[in-house]
Amino acid sequence: MIAGRLWDARFAFEHPATLWLVGGIVAALVAAAAIIGALQAAGLIEPPLRRELWLRTASWAVMAPLLVAPVLLGAFWTIAGVCLLSLACFGEYARVTGLFRERLVCLMVVLAILALSFATLDHWYGLFVAVFPLGVGLVAIGSIPLDWPQGFLLFGCALGHLGYMANDWDYRPVVLLVLIGVALNDIFAFVVGKALGGRKLLPGTSPNKTVAGAVGALALTTALVAVISVPVFRGTALGDLPHRLVLGALIGVFGQLGDLVLSSIKRDVGVKDSGALIPGHGGVLDRFNSLLLVAPAAFHYIGYYQGFGLDQPTRILSGA
Amino acid sequence: MQRWQLRPAADLDLPMAARLASPLRETGLAALAGRLFWRALCHRYLCARHRLTVAGAEHLPAAPPFVMVANHASHLDSLVLADCLPLRLADRVFPLAAGDHFFADPARAAFTAMALNALPLARRGARPRQLAALRRRLTEDGCAYILFPEGTRARDGVIAPFRAGLGRLVAGTPVPVVPCHIEGAYAAWPASAPLPRRRPIAVAIGKPMTFAAVADDKDGWRRIAAAAEAAVRSLAAGAAAPNSGAGPRA
Repeated sequence: MIAGRLWDARFAFEHPATLWLVGGIVAALVAAAAIIGALQAAGLIEPPLRRELWLRTASWAVMAPLLVAPVLLGAFWTIAGVCLLSLACFGEYARVTGLFRERLVCLMVVLAILALSFATLDHWYGLFVAVFPLGVGLVAIGSIPLDWPQGFLLFGCALGHLGYMANDWDYRPVVLLVLIGVALNDIFAFVVGKALGGRKLLPGTSPNKTVAGAVGALALTTALVAVISVPVFRGTALGDLPHRLVLGALIGVFGQLGDLVLSSIKRDVGVKDSGALIPGHGGVLDRFNSLLLVAPAAFHYIGYYQGFGLDQPTRILSGA
Repeated sequence: MQRWQLRPAADLDLPMAARLASPLRETGLAALAGRLFWRALCHRYLCARHRLTVAGAEHLPAAPPFVMVANHASHLDSLVLADCLPLRLADRVFPLAAGDHFFADPARAAFTAMALNALPLARRGARPRQLAALRRRLTEDGCAYILFPEGTRARDGVIAPFRAGLGRLVAGTPVPVVPCHIEGAYAAWPASAPLPRRRPIAVAIGKPMTFAAVADDKDGWRRIAAAAEAAVRSLAAGAAAPNSGAGPRA
């Protein structure tokens, strides 16, 4: 069943409409050539127009089989073809706009295109939908060294992932775990950085962060989250140590990246804090910037293993 | 905030085949991946088969633009000099290669452009125009050029006089010229041998020289070429007498 859909070309014309449509394409190309030939024979078109018409028709005669063949050959070829087309379109866009000089940003876009193609081939709608916000997050991370606030507007949506977790019956320990992990990560980075000092992490972006602070926070957060999450995930797919360590590392890495994304913007705008709501911390965004990327990352990681609220009623407001 | 400049690729208007052999060529992510792979292969090869050693790496400028110049006796030379530079510059390092040889046919041009990242420099004809384009690009894009001012591989391994084209690239600019001497590449792979042999290769990198005050004219170009040649020869003399250190004598 799966193999048949993916690459068995014997099913190419199983649906009668496919045959009609492909036949139509062939007929249209032949008709176009015939009409141009007739116009040419009757002397009704000037040489420049004639050349252009033939050139365009010839291009179609090459393009049409290239587009139609993968569709007929099977789902795998169709999806691979769309992936190549996406990469080619992005490559051209990048060269025209000059974006291609920013290698890291381009790499993130390519990774997102590949992830989207994988989700499509895998028939995994959850990942397919998730690649969009995750891709925007990747581009934001890739533009940290460039100090561009690109894609930042979607971070409002990124935080929304934290809220969605509450659709699960047992959401409380999970949400609290994420909040605690992110807060500890910030505190560890601050304390270890102050205690050890040493080399700056990205002096051009954030003058106070050190390599020691980043590495120390990552190690401590990973370890601590792995420990305090024992009761949270007991008896679930995430219950074993490797899974809990990965969750801790995700919080450690994305927490600090989220922080850096905001730092790179504040630094260039020339402000220290984005607000003054929280004494000692600054604004709301200063405190919760590290949560911005952790929320979707943790959401998709935990959701991959156990989902969120799969047994809960859906559309409780909009449903009938 | 750094602005994303809407500046199309400089070779955008050229047909596909002409892009490869254009001094304005700009490549994307796929070419970068291929280049990094090629650099990794070369590094392993040079270390394993030629036990490549580098002296004076501290003389390399921290950031482009700069021009590395060296004696030229082997096809290994540009691989050797590229290997002296950190991988993070992989995007900025451009060996200048003879256009008539390395870009002669499409297959060779594709390899020269994609793996070596070389830019073409005609030995005659379009040479002045190409040098002007390369000079502009050197500072505007912050490139590191690898140039062999002898113009061709020395068939007897003896350093030939440097040509003045180097001067056209840097005269009157603050762009440093880094003199280098490659020892052993001639024994490893001379122009007469079909394949390289297992011989050690050593590179000596000298102190950078700048020519901001030198006039951008024929006389200035000649003086720059002569100064670079003297620096490379002095590194060669240092290599002949190993205890005297790698840097050029003051």
